Amino acid sequence: MREGMFKSILGAALAIGLVASSLIPGAAFAADKVVKVGNLLPLSGPSASVGLQGKQAREMAVEEINAAGGIKSLGGAKMELLFADTKSDPNVGVTETERFINTEKVHVITGAWNSSVTYPTTAVAERYGVPYLVEVSVRDTITERGFKYVFRIAAKDSWWTRDQFAFLKDMEKEFGVKLATVAFVYENGDWGTGFAAQWKKLAEQAGLKVVLDEPYPSTATDLTPVVNKIRRANPDILLLTSNAADAILLTNSLAEYKVRPKAIIGSGGGHADPTFISGTGQNARFVFDIVEWETDVNKPGAKETNEKYKKLFGYNMTGEAVDAYVAMYALADALERAASTDPKKLRDAMAATKLSKGPASIIAYDSIEFDESGQNKNAALSIVQINDLGKGLERVTVWPKAARRAGYTPVFPMPQK
Amino acid sequence: MLYYLQDVIDGVLMGSIYGLLALGLTLIFGVLKVINFAHGSFLMLGMYVAYWTVSLTGLHPYLSLILVVPAMFLFGYGFQKALVQPIFKAESDVREPITVIIVTTGVWYILDNLALLLFGPDYRALTPNPLKGKMLELGEIFISLPKLYGCISALVTAGALTWFLRATRTGRAIRAVSLDREAASLMGISQWRIFAVAMGIGTSIAGISGVALTPFYNVYPTVGVPFDVKCFVIVVLGGLGSIPGAMLGGVIIGLVESLGPVFMTATWTEAIVYGLFLLFLFVKPSGLFGVKYDW
Repeated sequence: MREGMFKSILGAALAIGLVASSLIPGAAFAADKVVKVGNLLPLSGPSASVGLQGKQAREMAVEEINAAGGIKSLGGAKMELLFADTKSDPNVGVTETERFINTEKVHVITGAWNSSVTYPTTAVAERYGVPYLVEVSVRDTITERGFKYVFRIAAKDSWWTRDQFAFLKDMEKEFGVKLATVAFVYENGDWGTGFAAQWKKLAEQAGLKVVLDEPYPSTATDLTPVVNKIRRANPDILLLTSNAADAILLTNSLAEYKVRPKAIIGSGGGHADPTFISGTGQNARFVFDIVEWETDVNKPGAKETNEKYKKLFGYNMTGEAVDAYVAMYALADALERAASTDPKKLRDAMAATKLSKGPASIIAYDSIEFDESGQNKNAALSIVQINDLGKGLERVTVWPKAARRAGYTPVFPMPQK
Repeated sequence: MLYYLQDVIDGVLMGSIYGLLALGLTLIFGVLKVINFAHGSFLMLGMYVAYWTVSLTGLHPYLSLILVVPAMFLFGYGFQKALVQPIFKAESDVREPITVIIVTTGVWYILDNLALLLFGPDYRALTPNPLKGKMLELGEIFISLPKLYGCISALVTAGALTWFLRATRTGRAIRAVSLDREAASLMGISQWRIFAVAMGIGTSIAGISGVALTPFYNVYPTVGVPFDVKCFVIVVLGGLGSIPGAMLGGVIIGLVESLGPVFMTATWTEAIVYGLFLLFLFVKPSGLFGVKYDW
């Protein structure tokens, strides 16, 4: 009898213990020791190639973090990556975000590369109060809605266009070349149209005449008509915003039709894709591109990290890959300081980020710090030129002048053949 | 004036290649009376076969046809025998089983994702490629040589197919089956063999378009999708099952795409293409060359 009673008391105590531990997040957490990170990426469709870069960079970072003992303030908890394919479709992105939060119970979300997907998915995360770290998407308004749980590492797109024009102005001065006309050619998504709207304002301020303003569908099978329009408009400067397939198609067609403006400037994306150079070859020579990061960046650890990455995946890190890689370290840093996976505490820790040391310091600027709106206020950009310096085509940092590769003089204006 | 001439040339060249791809789709539709949603994926497959043949052997891109055509024919033949035919037999009470459309959609997804898995999402440019970026320059007019080759292939293929359907026994059997299956069967034609042959020919035409595209277009797993959609529009425009219709439909779409941007932004041409599609469905659903009455 006594023994039976003891057993039932023990049973009751166990039951209470179980219930209690599932009610207190920290306790439940200690049991499984995993931080679930939900990642939204375009893993198929037109942007699959950048999606894959983001996935691989995250995997490399998380493997390093876990191998180094995980999140120490959480008892060595490991980070676990979950991936969802958004197919670059906002609707799919929203559904996958709901699934991450309600079914998978992720602690934090990152993503989603396409601004058009990031915009609605961050709103979902904000509604549920789940921290969302945006590593790449550049649309300004993503961090301009007064959200508390959304943070962005990459520079806003208005900073990209601002720096494209600042670069042009500096080149005009450095080489004594007068630039008078400009053409805008861009994919007709959120990203391209967002850039074009800012280009228009900046061109007006710079006193440049806009001779062509041409959006095109990035699923187009033929861009010859667009190239012919550029040929007739005959601009001094050609500003492009393209995804991978269309960037290759445009660059090849421009060379075939011998359209050679004084400067062709890409906006990252397709122009920064590793397949861009292999798909265009010599046609890409002298094209400028704006990037967050380049392999010749002069920062501690950058070379080693890129070498490891290249060995693992067979190509150099891109700005996208670096942002994804750094995002994982920024997350680990916030988790370490929060010592909790409670969304509120994690959010506060993220807001207080000031990350300038460790593997994350491969970024081209000094440190990651978020302002009130959740935007990384230090994010900065540089301009590269694609050129062949005797070792095949490569991307050479040319601007800002302080960061220019030693001994390199940019080829400007583009030579007329 | 020269501007327009340049645009017309570009439009006709690109359009005839669209027409070539649509030729395969229209043939399959004409005989089986079902839409093959996997046609774009067949194009992708043909492009990869051409790509790997050229990069492994170093042959001229157009010599890869020696391998692409029989390989794609066998693939189409097998696809019909293994996947489509059982459905036709199971749903023998209807002429055009809806299930086939679902199966072809499934095959589209499987093929595209298989390619993504096997070859990765990279955009591959053909190497070695003797046609790369070659242009015929006639004063201000530039003519893309790889597109010209594509246009010639399209005309040759359309001509050969017309001859085949008119002059050979198998060709006549294909036409008989497409007109009336019952009657053709009663005349001793095996409709199952004809279905498979038609699917094989349609698929190898997708392969030929793949060979025509690779010298100036990158190969990647979802390359078929934008072409696929365009193909449906062309087939409806030209008339379901019509060979000259497919070619003319292709050229019309090509011209809309190349002349449209002269007057408006390139984004609008897509709207015009689909607008044209809807207009034809409302006003002349049989298309330019289609038969008004279905047999």
